[in-house]
Amino acid sequence: MTSGGVHSGEAARRRLRKRHAAERRFRLYGLAAIGLALGALVTLLGTVVVRGLPAFFGYEVTLDLHLDAARLDPQGGRRPGDLGRGDYGRVVKDALRALFPEVKGRRERRRLHALVSSGAAFDLRERVLAEPDLVGSTIALAVPLSDDADLFFKGGVDAEAAEADRRLSDAQITWLRALQSEGRVARRFWTRFFRAGDSREPELAGIWGALVGSLWTLGVTLLLSFPLGVAAAVYLEEFAPKGRLTDFIEVNINNLAAVPSIVFGLLGLAVFLNLSGLPRSAPLVGGLVLALMTLPTVIIASRSSIMAVPPGIREAAMGIGASPIQVVGHHVLPLALPGILTGTILGMARALGETAPLLMIGMVAFIVDVPTGPTAPATVLPVQVYLWADSPERAFVAKTSGAILVLLAFLVAMNLAAVLLRSRFERRW
Amino acid sequence: MTFPTPTGGIQVTLRSTPLALIAACTLGFAAPSLARDQLRIVGSSTVFPFATAVAEQFGKTTSFRTPVVESTGSGGGLKLFCAGVGTQHPDITNASRRIKGSEVESCRRNGVTDIVEVKVGFDGIVLANSKKSGRFSLTKEQIFRALAKQVPIDGKLVDNPYRSWDEIDASLPSTRIEVLGPPPTSGTRDAFVELAMEGGATAIAMLADLRKSDKKAFRAVAHGIREDGAYVEAGENDNLIVQKLEANPSALGIFGFSFLDQNADKIQGSVVGGIEPTFENIAAGQYGVSRSLYFYVKKAHVGVVPGIQHYVAEFTSDRAAGEEGYLADKGLIPLPEAERTAVREAARGLELLSLN
Amino acid sequence: MLPLTLALLLLSTAAFVLGRRRAFAVVEGETRLLHSQPGSYGQWVALWCALPSLAVVVAWWLLEPALIEWQTFAGAPAEVVELPPERRELFARDALALSAGEVTSSEPGPALRAAAGRIQRVEGLGQLSVGGLAAAVALMGLGWARGRIRPQLRARNHVEAVARTALAASSLVAILATVGIVLSLVFEAARFFALVPLGDFLFGLEWSPQTAIRADQVGSSGAFGAAPVFAGTLLITALAMAVAVPVGLLAAIFLSDYATPLTRAWVKPLLEILAGIPTVVYGFFAALSVGPLVRQLGERLGWEVSSESALAAGLVMGVMIIPFVSSLSDDVINAVPRSLREGSLGLGATKSETIRRVVLPAALPGIVGAVLLAISRAIGETMIVVMAAGLAANLSANPFEAVTTVTVQIVTLLVGDQEFDSAKTLAAFALGLALFLVTLGLNVVALVVVRRYREQYD
Repeated sequence: MTSGGVHSGEAARRRLRKRHAAERRFRLYGLAAIGLALGALVTLLGTVVVRGLPAFFGYEVTLDLHLDAARLDPQGGRRPGDLGRGDYGRVVKDALRALFPEVKGRRERRRLHALVSSGAAFDLRERVLAEPDLVGSTIALAVPLSDDADLFFKGGVDAEAAEADRRLSDAQITWLRALQSEGRVARRFWTRFFRAGDSREPELAGIWGALVGSLWTLGVTLLLSFPLGVAAAVYLEEFAPKGRLTDFIEVNINNLAAVPSIVFGLLGLAVFLNLSGLPRSAPLVGGLVLALMTLPTVIIASRSSIMAVPPGIREAAMGIGASPIQVVGHHVLPLALPGILTGTILGMARALGETAPLLMIGMVAFIVDVPTGPTAPATVLPVQVYLWADSPERAFVAKTSGAILVLLAFLVAMNLAAVLLRSRFERRW
Repeated sequence: MTFPTPTGGIQVTLRSTPLALIAACTLGFAAPSLARDQLRIVGSSTVFPFATAVAEQFGKTTSFRTPVVESTGSGGGLKLFCAGVGTQHPDITNASRRIKGSEVESCRRNGVTDIVEVKVGFDGIVLANSKKSGRFSLTKEQIFRALAKQVPIDGKLVDNPYRSWDEIDASLPSTRIEVLGPPPTSGTRDAFVELAMEGGATAIAMLADLRKSDKKAFRAVAHGIREDGAYVEAGENDNLIVQKLEANPSALGIFGFSFLDQNADKIQGSVVGGIEPTFENIAAGQYGVSRSLYFYVKKAHVGVVPGIQHYVAEFTSDRAAGEEGYLADKGLIPLPEAERTAVREAARGLELLSLN
Repeated sequence: MLPLTLALLLLSTAAFVLGRRRAFAVVEGETRLLHSQPGSYGQWVALWCALPSLAVVVAWWLLEPALIEWQTFAGAPAEVVELPPERRELFARDALALSAGEVTSSEPGPALRAAAGRIQRVEGLGQLSVGGLAAAVALMGLGWARGRIRPQLRARNHVEAVARTALAASSLVAILATVGIVLSLVFEAARFFALVPLGDFLFGLEWSPQTAIRADQVGSSGAFGAAPVFAGTLLITALAMAVAVPVGLLAAIFLSDYATPLTRAWVKPLLEILAGIPTVVYGFFAALSVGPLVRQLGERLGWEVSSESALAAGLVMGVMIIPFVSSLSDDVINAVPRSLREGSLGLGATKSETIRRVVLPAALPGIVGAVLLAISRAIGETMIVVMAAGLAANLSANPFEAVTTVTVQIVTLLVGDQEFDSAKTLAAFALGLALFLVTLGLNVVALVVVRRYREQYD
């Protein structure tokens, strides 16, 4: 062989270098693709976390509230009915005025009152109704600040900007600073966000109502799609004769899995609301729509899980005299259950995050009360996100992101559960 | 088999349809018709923020449950409202426009004969842009010339040739015309077209003449909004329009006053006809582009669903709809004192609507 | 309803116990003489008890509305019977409401009260007689079945036949759902096409569903040429695919052929998180973060970018679809037999050459199938475009312009401020039908492609 041979000459080495460079480039493309995808994930989650964390905290101001019997209980009987009608808003306003006696004039006073949330009066009412003996005394109560004041302490208000350009006036900022220097303002973990229903005031709004609505909806979905899905899968895997009908069912299931979710919303509008006359905004209808949507997922997962049970198990059971139904009930289903459950959980996770079909059936609604049943009006977490994203108050941007974080936490938990279930119980035959 | 209209349905005929049966049968549910102890409100997305504020206050200060408020749009709300009497139908619908004769007729056909109309206040429709660029000062005629599909030039109607604002009037900036506004399905758009565009068209002598001779042709010109990209239909999420304006300083946006009010640090309202869109100017009726907001009550439900009268009283009370009320804080422009008192009296007495 | 259900439940339980006891009795405790386990006999009797009476209840349920309607007008005064149809319907509804103690549309007159009374009688009669009949049928079924118990009776087989039927019925729900979707879309769409010709809808170049909020408003007929809507959907889908296909495919190749098992174990689930994030979150992200970013970038480069550019929605949707493409492609790439790879490597090809010249061509049909499925997913995606894309029906291929999509139009047409019952709301169903058919077609093609490919190597 000479140095100028086809496979060892300079040209060959150059060719080889080129090919190796191409190899490296190709590898790099792959890495870049993964980097891009993961980068998008990190950016998305990062944005939501940065925007959403302030929603979990809030500022409260401690006021010395004089519970004047003349205002709260003019009848003097301390009866809950009378106490409930007391003018609690006035008590809160009086406490504020006592702190800033120099504030005169209707307009200025309104500005002062606007620093404290309208929820303060509700909080006080609750407290007094719980302890009627407090009437007549003076108590120190930490009450929420209004959304604008809250935003100021969170750094969302630019005090340097011209007065007309911000939601707080110069005087309001001075008062807030005074309250802070007196040590009356404190940052708290905002439990209200987790235990309250929806509200028009960002500082009072919470996700509990939407969360319970989501649970009712998912409950209905699970109750319908799990038994139906497993039964259908068992039939198709174990009993269905090979034929046109079975093929048709299979095609249907595969297609349903790919039908856009909004089309299920149209189905819900036409069939459940208009034809069957079921109530609007009800978890029942949402659950029905989502059940139809997740049914194919459950069926497909259950089928592959049932298929994975080796035929030997069936044959052994048949061999000792079990009927086909007994084979399925006693052996195949228990063995396939982890896989079925995994598929079901993943289907439920998808249903939990679904918004579009629910827009069609009236779940875009303002609902304060926590839903008490499947026909009570309710909204769900993703719809709450959509609603808050649409609200004019600035502080709702944080609340929206906060709600997204809670939603994501649930999804992560469900997916983790599915992964654990799979790794714990999955058998390789 | 009769198939239903998209919302609402007719109970008697539908109960016998086989499909309902199949659906109900397989899923195992029958239609419930339970009495309700909670108000159900539907309707306009413009009134939604105000109605929800009243609903919340009402729920927290009385022994009644908080009403459920749904944002369905004015038309959709009236459709549901008019679908019939009975607790499966809503009690109140909000509207950003007045009820139409045809809607009253459809209500009547379904047995909803007694309707109480309550006017709650005004909503200013503002044109606003980012504070990063200068404030616009426009006349209605300029608005018309910037946004109409066809404009009169030298006595002839031609397709709108204006690309940038200074082509319309030298006093305006030389930026490209770009206006983000509501889609045709929106009540805001309808009001804007009627108040600003039609007003602007009337200011042009040629169109004013046309108006006298051929009303229909005039409307066709005055209501046509250009579709060549200068007017961007931006969805009904006004919040997103605000965000987009911030990102795009040369664009103008059209939306309700409450969004301007909430975002006064980021955007500024354009002066229209020499009047700035401020709370005071709209309330005084000086700002030319504002519309009335209403809600409608089904009288047959009063006394059946608890709390309707109390809700109406709360909505019309001074602490809600007054000049210093909490709705004013949310951006609702209150009615003038005298009208407010009249409305309150009429509403509390549940006076019936008459469309004349 | 509830008492009846409870009664039936109790009766069936009793039937089970009785049947089981009877089975013991007929063989005098020698259960090995029985064809089936004693429990099966119990189940058999319980089924005979429950099913016939359920049939009675269902039959009454079917019959009742017709009976009520008949009774509403039977014996009603002539002026009621001769009412125009719409007034008749109102009367019927009021009578029903009154009989249930609900509100009526007007102060009830004597005719209405009488009708309501008749309805109440029908309902009362129904409850009594149907309850009685159902109970009687249940008892008869119980007695008959119990009497038929013999050692030779193949009780288990009978019970299992019922169970099999129930299983088969559940699998029919999938068909029912499809039928429901098609019916609900077709009926409304048919009404729409009666107003707007199909040709105009499919090929018309102007989409402007103007509102007729007042009757005198201009443009109330509207233009329903859906071509710009379809074009917008295609544009956004194409943009999404331009992101998702290269990124997804390259990621799949890297994961299947280059990555260490450890990397694969970490990266794959991370990628799949992208698929699990709710679309409303993507919408929020697209509208508030990506949209302004795209615009700023465009401004800096001196391009005119609309605030609601198709690009922002397309990019974000592409990110959402990456895991869809990557995991499906991963499957098909892994399914290419090792022997093909080894043959190529053995001839001296580098890894990338093997992948490009051997693995990818072999996996191509599967990848095409995956991409088709991803496209159908992108076309049907709603929340991202509702929140981030515009409503302007521009017929444009410029990704910096605002376009609208089928799903956005469905949502706005049904949730917007428009008058109902007009061509506009019906148009939503026509669009829904188009969406359904297109995704259906894509899906069928994708499945066929994938299936055909599989047959080559299995």
